[in-house]
Amino acid sequence: MSEAGASEGPARDAGGGRRPVVTTVEEAVATIADGAVVGIGGAVTADHPMALVRALARRAPRELTVVAPTGGIEVDLLIAAGCVRTVVASYVGIEGLAAVGPVFRRAVQEGSVEVVDLDEAHCVQALRAAAQRLPFLPWRGGVGTSFPQLNRSLVAFDDPVRGEPLLAIPALELDVALLYAAESDAYGNAQVAGTGHMDALLGAAARRVVLQVDRIVTNERIRQAPERTWFWGETTVARAPFGTHPYSNAALTADEQHLREFARVARAGGDELSDYLDRHVREADHDDYLEQVGIRRLVSLLV
Amino acid sequence: MTTELHAAPPSTDELFAILLARDLRPEDRTIMVGANMPMARAAAVLANLTTHPDARILIGLGVQSLGGGVPPPAVHPFVFDPRTLAAEALMFQGRIFDDVSRPDVFFVGGLQLDRRGNLNLFGIPDGNGGWKMRGPGSIALATMSTNCRGYYVVMPSHDPRTFVERVALISALGDRTERARLRLPGGGIRLVLSPLGVFALDEAGELQVRSLHAGVTPEQVRAATGFPLEVPDDVPTTPPPTAAELATLRERVDVDGTLRA
Repeated sequence: MSEAGASEGPARDAGGGRRPVVTTVEEAVATIADGAVVGIGGAVTADHPMALVRALARRAPRELTVVAPTGGIEVDLLIAAGCVRTVVASYVGIEGLAAVGPVFRRAVQEGSVEVVDLDEAHCVQALRAAAQRLPFLPWRGGVGTSFPQLNRSLVAFDDPVRGEPLLAIPALELDVALLYAAESDAYGNAQVAGTGHMDALLGAAARRVVLQVDRIVTNERIRQAPERTWFWGETTVARAPFGTHPYSNAALTADEQHLREFARVARAGGDELSDYLDRHVREADHDDYLEQVGIRRLVSLLV
Repeated sequence: MTTELHAAPPSTDELFAILLARDLRPEDRTIMVGANMPMARAAAVLANLTTHPDARILIGLGVQSLGGGVPPPAVHPFVFDPRTLAAEALMFQGRIFDDVSRPDVFFVGGLQLDRRGNLNLFGIPDGNGGWKMRGPGSIALATMSTNCRGYYVVMPSHDPRTFVERVALISALGDRTERARLRLPGGGIRLVLSPLGVFALDEAGELQVRSLHAGVTPEQVRAATGFPLEVPDDVPTTPPPTAAELATLRERVDVDGTLRA
């Protein structure tokens, strides 16, 4: 068991039997232990729970396995903070701003971080297998490629029904999934704005979910659109408005200028990257971070 | 203003967008565009506005269909820009991969392409279990190239390091013989575009020149290719964008000039 059990959390509501699961960003990641397998939601430049990622980088547990299906600077930040041993991903980069995540590239080329290559659809199958308590699920994409050579956990086999060549994608179980949703009630009933990417599966494959939201709303409001609600097993909710910054969410565009600056310091490494980390991560809580970004910039990003 | 806009010669990305849109087939009904391919995004929108009014185009995770008069989405710098969520449907990964036969067409870029059409996005291994040059990863390339009716390869540069005899690692299997042996269902590569020309796999599955862009010589493309490439002296010139194609692209598709930057 690589993750300590979560605390009991806040007291039950007065007069009601249901226990709220709301906590702070810092508390929400406090029990993620060295060596944990941590899934991070979102995709490419959208909907990553960056406030949770920065809080985790600030705490700096070691030797994490980071599962970032289509990842970016959340991987770079955690590597730069010294937290990562292994990255499981189909992509790490900042789209047009950095073809490959600069910190990720350097660490992988130096050999300090190991990368486990999966196709984006392999991530889906691996998380589904974990959620379904299966040892693996089959997939065809990747047959005839270098995937099985690069990632030895993938097994080529001939299917027992039609005899066709397939790959077995092993289950990918997570200790914790860090996810973002626009809103949730105090009990972890989440409603995403946008598509949710692979997040529902990350949650289903995880022992517990930490959910970053822009707003905590009433259960009554959630009940107005129950078809939009996602919920998982053990869940903790932390409020962090603008918390996907510098990435986008349904109401906020990505901060291209900030991402460009990050790409620059990430390529430079050394003191420049360390200064960025000090300023934006190590010596700043989420409110400090937003103050540094500045109200004008944040408002300019609103859709 | 309009005259000035049309006077500028097409950029490479504009040329790519127009060549991709031209080559789409009438039966292509679902056109999918991935991350970091603004020229493919523009191609999908251009086709949807002109030749393919019945198509659905997947840009990021928003599904668009512009044949009914919906205004075209801008070419944003990031494919998952929230403004792409103004759509007729939203896709997410679980749903896309539950319906892998649906996207007819997909577009890919790559670090390396070889003479058999294999593509590498993983990077260059160092031979000792590590990496000499680590790439971004293969995203959904293996899955999409396996299943799509056809895919287009857009190579941002053409030199002996990118057009190679044999890729160091295979992200997408282009080799027709291998695809048939492994019973991959998709149709494989339709075209390869580079800043120098248009290429495709011949009957034997070897990369061949279809046309060279205006001003590119056979010697130039031979020298820039890392394997012996047969270029006939009478190789056709890529038909340049027409005034009408450029006008539609600049006035309706890429209004902000992302492809000209």
